[in-house]
Amino acid sequence: MSERLLRLMASRWTRLVLVSLILLGLQTTLLNDMRPFGVMIPVMLLFAVSAGTIYGSEIGAISGLIIGVMYDCVLSTPLGLASLVFGAAAYVAGFLPFFVREPTWWTRVITIGIAGAVGELAFPFAQSMVGFGGRFQPHVAGVVAFVVVAGMIVAPLLLPVCRWTLKESLVG
Amino acid sequence: MALLVLTSIILVTLDLQGSAATRSLRSIFGAVFRPVESVARVVTRPATNAWYGITHYNDVTAENELLREKIAQQEGAAVAAAASVRLSQELLALNGLPTLAGINSVSAQVIGDSPSNFVQSVEIDQGTESGIKVGMPVLNAAGLVGKITQVFANRAVVMLITDPQYALSVKIINAPKTTVTTVPNQDPASTVTIVSVPVTIDPLITVPTVPATSNIAGFTPGSIVAPRTPIISSSLTIPPGSNVSVRETGILEGRGAGRVPTVRFVDAAQRFGVVQPGSPIVTAGGSLSLAPPDIVVGTVSRVKERLGTAGPLLEIDIVADLSNLSFVRILLYQPITERTAP
Repeated sequence: MSERLLRLMASRWTRLVLVSLILLGLQTTLLNDMRPFGVMIPVMLLFAVSAGTIYGSEIGAISGLIIGVMYDCVLSTPLGLASLVFGAAAYVAGFLPFFVREPTWWTRVITIGIAGAVGELAFPFAQSMVGFGGRFQPHVAGVVAFVVVAGMIVAPLLLPVCRWTLKESLVG
Repeated sequence: MALLVLTSIILVTLDLQGSAATRSLRSIFGAVFRPVESVARVVTRPATNAWYGITHYNDVTAENELLREKIAQQEGAAVAAAASVRLSQELLALNGLPTLAGINSVSAQVIGDSPSNFVQSVEIDQGTESGIKVGMPVLNAAGLVGKITQVFANRAVVMLITDPQYALSVKIINAPKTTVTTVPNQDPASTVTIVSVPVTIDPLITVPTVPATSNIAGFTPGSIVAPRTPIISSSLTIPPGSNVSVRETGILEGRGAGRVPTVRFVDAAQRFGVVQPGSPIVTAGGSLSLAPPDIVVGTVSRVKERLGTAGPLLEIDIVADLSNLSFVRILLYQPITERTAP
């Protein structure tokens, strides 16, 4: 019993939940207040996308789902919407190895920026799909452009954190 | 990927159906996340303050000067307004009509904004334990802020009036058109007859040096003696027919961040006349409205004329500063159609 509990505590998914909780804390406080050009840096989305670029589509999609559900819990939009968008964005980001034979850190950084922007663009689209219309506002284009740049800046910090968080075993 | 889509769609469906399971999940997560958020807020406060110091310093000093000037201007007006409000409430109470003063309210602190670029909402630190329910109107000292959309035991989410999902029935109070009538006054020594209906008198009015008398029974004008001047005409502002403000209703709708809300479906009635920029907007109330009548929302900033029967589209300057909310008041008001029998 205790061995199973220990294994559960040491699992990559438990680590993901704990790290995401800290990132969500930063998202709702620091990043929510610090909005360069009036746009918030979607660090939760970028973290999900990072998981996809490092560990591939499947791990990315599951990570996106978990991170998205956590993010959904603090939003007023329907539960499951952010998880769908984050999961899809991370899944798309996971296709990087198909296009680049040996991804380097900077190809990952570019992928995170672009996939993050795709996710940010998909969010108002998903809201419209479930009846939360009127979300396509003129500032969407500005938000998406900003997320590309912000994603590339934040990615070098997120990549090592994500790599450690989703490492299969902490030993070795 | 298919599993991800399926899971998400199930969650969305359950939540849109108002499932108790998803509500409990949010509630439990809120309880777990609250301490983490508090710690994060404390830890990141210096960085946030530094950020505000760098980006908003000039705005803050300019705003401070402007506010001092406004306070000086409004101190006198506030006393008169308070007296008018009190009088109005007494009259309403005397006639058995509902007043805002008769509605219980709960004060709450804003504890967070929506962490999204596409949702305009804030979170407050009061919930069902204080009697708050979904739909209740939220105000600050200036006017209407939004409505409650989600409630938990000790917190609630307020949808701001700028959110594209927000809609509310409102009244536009259009001041009646005034006309200026010039009364010839050739003989400086003659007696001025004061009309009983004027609202304002042109500051250029010239009266003779002799004390004015009135033909109104029981009314004796003050013994103010105006200096003799050679101007031989006076102008009085007389509203045509009635000096009562005309009201018309419309639907207020939010349009998202950085865009002012609009009022649609305003009936272009003959009596109502042309809507003037600056006309006050207040809530309409009624048995189906989630807000009681006469909460101040804002003023008309721009009128967009539209063809056909669409009526004008009004852009609104909201009186409440939604970018800087600290404390709000939740009116524990439910329309008669929403109340459940005890």
